[in-house]
Amino acid sequence: MGILFTRMFSSVFGNKEARILVLGLDNAGKTTILYRLQMGEVVATIPTIGFNVETVQYNNIKFQVWDLGGQTSIRPYWRCYFPNTQAIIYVVDSSDTDRLAIAKDEFHAILEEEELKGAVVLIFANKQDLPGALDDAGVTESLELHKIKNRQWAIFKTSAIKGEGLFEGLDWLSNTLKSGA
Amino acid sequence: MFTLFYGLWKYIFSKTEFHVLILGIDKAGKTTLLEKLKALYSNLEGLPPDRIVPTVGLNIGRIEASKEKLVFWDLGGQVGLRTIWEKYYEEAHAVIYVIDAACPSRFEDSKSALEKILRHQDLLGAPLLIVANKQDLAGAVSAEELARYLDLKELDERLYMFEAVSAYDGTGIKDGVDWLVEVMERSKRTDKLRARANIAGPGSA
Repeated sequence: MGILFTRMFSSVFGNKEARILVLGLDNAGKTTILYRLQMGEVVATIPTIGFNVETVQYNNIKFQVWDLGGQTSIRPYWRCYFPNTQAIIYVVDSSDTDRLAIAKDEFHAILEEEELKGAVVLIFANKQDLPGALDDAGVTESLELHKIKNRQWAIFKTSAIKGEGLFEGLDWLSNTLKSGA
Repeated sequence: MFTLFYGLWKYIFSKTEFHVLILGIDKAGKTTLLEKLKALYSNLEGLPPDRIVPTVGLNIGRIEASKEKLVFWDLGGQVGLRTIWEKYYEEAHAVIYVIDAACPSRFEDSKSALEKILRHQDLLGAPLLIVANKQDLAGAVSAEELARYLDLKELDERLYMFEAVSAYDGTGIKDGVDWLVEVMERSKRTDKLRARANIAGPGSA
């Protein structure tokens, strides 16, 4: 009964909740992004083994953001977190051109997952502050984003260190989730 | 046995989903048009125009019009992002090309991007709806004036139409969609795409 009232309350006041997964190879900047969004500052991070989860309130949406460790050995565990996910933020180190091919393969493998069929996809071309970083068009090409034809996607140039592009991405995400596409 | 009949039944009666690309340079009003399409044809609300930000990727809209299923692909129009347009050409049944009719200073840019589309092999025979958008603004030129300005030579053998539209208030959208559905139903390109889908197997159709 209490749950029912909470639901009614939140539907009346437009406080939507969304479960977001932040995925990407190791050292892409997922954890830095998570804490930049949540606290607005750059924190020193160590490679994530397991996950970090935080709630970010933005544009009347309560984002429950899951940042999953990206190392090769623990990527198979990502799928344990797939059910009930509304959106994926896929983070790429735009300056790590050697590993963009691997990033692409992992990305398209995620998109194949049945449980993520309905999730919208946001790509962060991160580390734009580093020299040699590919721009949004370059990362789009490398990740072969054009192969996505059944769901909405967007790409943003970000620098988690400088705090650039992240909230533009969340704007897109909240608009897209609200328009119910 | 059942599977066989089901497959046959599906082959005969299943409707093709028509893929319609929405193209045009940045600030032409492609996403506003898409959202208006959603609002007019489905019970989805669609984003209000003031909430729309420049597209950097792909927006999708699914509607049903004249008993046909239409899928719209709205792609970002900024210069750097135009390179991915052509990746969507092969599977498109038709193209809506959106032009800001109230911004003559960018007609040239619009024209050259459109000419490039018309020359592309992968879009051969795709019907083209050219939208003279933003008719709600005072300075907007008419569809005829825009056609005269663009003076497109490559259009001769292609099914095409100019339509005066306001994606903001919805003027002209239904006429445009009616025309699109009608020409897509009878275009050779649709037959070609359907044949290819059937060769690839019903599963991928």
